[in-house]
Amino acid sequence: MPGGGHCPDCGSTELVEDSHYSQSQLVCSDCGCVVTEGVLTTTFSDEGNLREVTYSRSTGENEQVSRSQQRGLRRVRDLCRVLQLPSTFEDTAVAYYQQAYRHSGIRAARLQKKEVLVGCCVLITCRQHNWPLTMGTICTLLYADLDVFSGTYMQIVKLLGLDVPSLCLADLVKTYCSSFRLFQASPSVPAKYVEDKEKMLSRTLQLVELADETWLVTGRHPLPVITAATFLAWQSLQPSERLTCSLARFCKLANVDLPCPASSRLQELLAVLLRMAEQLAWLQVLRLDKRSVVKHIGDLLQHRHTLVRKAFRDGPAESDAGEEEQQGRGQGPGQGKEEVASSSLGPPEGKRPASPALLLPPCMLKPPKRVCPPPPISTATGDEDISDSEIEQYLRTPQEVRDFQKAQAARQAATGGSNPP
Amino acid sequence: MEEEQTYLELYLDQCVAQDDLAPSRSLLLSPVVPDDAYMPNPSHPETVFNSHLEEVKETSGNFSSVDLSFLPDELTQENKDQSIIRSKHEIEENYKTQSQQSRLSLSREQDIGLGLISNSSLSNSHSHLYPGDADSVQPSLEKPNSMPLVSITPMTPMTPVSECSGIVPQLQNIVSTVNLACKLDLKKIALHAKNAEYNPKRFAAVIMRIREPRTTALIFSSGKMVCTGAKSEEQSRLAARKYARVVQKLGFPARFLDFKIQNMVGSCDVRFAIRLEGLVLTHQQFSSYEPELFPGLIYRMVKPRIVLLIFVSGKVVLTGAKERSEIYEAFENIYPILKGFKKA
Repeated sequence: MPGGGHCPDCGSTELVEDSHYSQSQLVCSDCGCVVTEGVLTTTFSDEGNLREVTYSRSTGENEQVSRSQQRGLRRVRDLCRVLQLPSTFEDTAVAYYQQAYRHSGIRAARLQKKEVLVGCCVLITCRQHNWPLTMGTICTLLYADLDVFSGTYMQIVKLLGLDVPSLCLADLVKTYCSSFRLFQASPSVPAKYVEDKEKMLSRTLQLVELADETWLVTGRHPLPVITAATFLAWQSLQPSERLTCSLARFCKLANVDLPCPASSRLQELLAVLLRMAEQLAWLQVLRLDKRSVVKHIGDLLQHRHTLVRKAFRDGPAESDAGEEEQQGRGQGPGQGKEEVASSSLGPPEGKRPASPALLLPPCMLKPPKRVCPPPPISTATGDEDISDSEIEQYLRTPQEVRDFQKAQAARQAATGGSNPP
Repeated sequence: MEEEQTYLELYLDQCVAQDDLAPSRSLLLSPVVPDDAYMPNPSHPETVFNSHLEEVKETSGNFSSVDLSFLPDELTQENKDQSIIRSKHEIEENYKTQSQQSRLSLSREQDIGLGLISNSSLSNSHSHLYPGDADSVQPSLEKPNSMPLVSITPMTPMTPVSECSGIVPQLQNIVSTVNLACKLDLKKIALHAKNAEYNPKRFAAVIMRIREPRTTALIFSSGKMVCTGAKSEEQSRLAARKYARVVQKLGFPARFLDFKIQNMVGSCDVRFAIRLEGLVLTHQQFSSYEPELFPGLIYRMVKPRIVLLIFVSGKVVLTGAKERSEIYEAFENIYPILKGFKKA
């Protein structure tokens, strides 16, 4: 008889460990008195019979939870800790996982899917608290495919009937930008490339807002846009030294992966900035191109709302009544702008501000790949006669069948013969 | 391209301006309505409407020149009349339940241009108008305000309805199934048919293709067949029959049982950019927009049960329909919602 326990009723030392359903009990084999119930004891006398049991096994709860679910819940907690999420997130994510596990489809799913489900629960929790976590990050952490992740994610959102808010762009900008290793000089980052975090953050945010307004963000993955915006912001803060640095090199310096679409987003953003620059009289004369416009990004951003309104239209072209407003732009010019342009009333000689371009997503501005002609109105009834000749064109003649069979046999022989014996 | 756009804008402006009842033109199926009988007088819309209708009423029996090719197969002449009476009843009920004015719409597209009396509530309320009692039709037809038939519809009010969408979704793909009711030897089919491919290790069915209508069929050894790629219901049926004929000619006692359309896919273009982020905010319970996964917004409409893929360029794909009318109805439901996001 293990331990030094004896029955409080009859004093016998014959105590047997027995289980009542999932509750372990110490029972006296002489008089049948239950000495301890469960292992979380309540009275001082009971504690004398206490067995040493670890906490996680002390409640009967885990006996009802399957091993794979326990593993999943552990993974959820680990993932939350790795991502350094607040503790409340952990509980919510665990609750979602348990909720999902109640569905038979999830219980019977493959292990790979259950792994991915862990990530889905954490992602949903973060989204609901507006914590900017991208699916790419989770997939990297889980070593999972984005396709598998997306399938499970859509399924679980539908299954649990959850309302998952969209990714918060502003927060994502802050988190993503902070991960760029450019705020301190290091052996790989020369001093002229180091930048102040706050300045870069605010400028990136403005550029991302500009991209959002001009249809560069809708329907696209948010991260490449932010990469392009960060690059432009960084370049524009010290253009003289940084114009020579390319986007790829910038990402390498900053120790951040370069997403594929970032270069085309960069071109689109530069095109928008160029259009805006055409509305500023003193920039028109400079005849900017995609490289030189970077130097003036600060000014363009300062007046971005009016410039976007003027540079773009979403309906028929408006009259250029707003040209006189450009005089006001003369103040706050930045370094080296000609004051001359602001003194002219009306368009400068020989060069008017470009007529407003259409403010549309890039996919609508590109010419259509092929024009689909509208299908001819068919008067088919579905019950027409089918001629024999039409059907026969699809059938092989007996000679063709024989030839085909011979060819097949020959091929089989060839592949059979080439196999090593 | 530019001209088309401005024409569309003009047309839409015109529709917006027609807030009062001012039926300038309407394409009615009744062939005998003289145009000059119209009195487009906005100040007396009701009388205009009534007088117009009375004219049409006389000719409501004459449907011989009407194109009914879209009606389902099993509709015979009597059923046609039945359904026409039923829809008359529907429209009449609808007219009475709303005391507001409806207007005759301008329909311009190819699809059997139907002019339909409508209100936005027509499509919402047609569900409870469905099984119109044949009994109550007779007495109500005698009423002075009884509405003559202005459109011929099978069971559901379909196609270009008012509120100026003027856009008709094009059907792109129809998936149908049919039972050939005999066991098939797939190896034999693959041997004797030129247009068949059979790779049992990859997939347990013969993949057969025909050129006219351009479709693909999956033929299983149990005798069941799936036909995909047709652009209309009739074409799908014709194609399925051709595949059955091919199988017949190969020596199998194939029949043609339980032909059923399982899925219809349509697409169209609303011609303006859409702020998907805004749409997902206002219609969160129906929409799912994950730009990290897919560039389009997935809108699961409840009534009719259709899934729409909405893209930022304004292109809309509608799928999950068993009937053409569901696609049209879904588009008419989504168009005003999308218009709300036109200039965000």
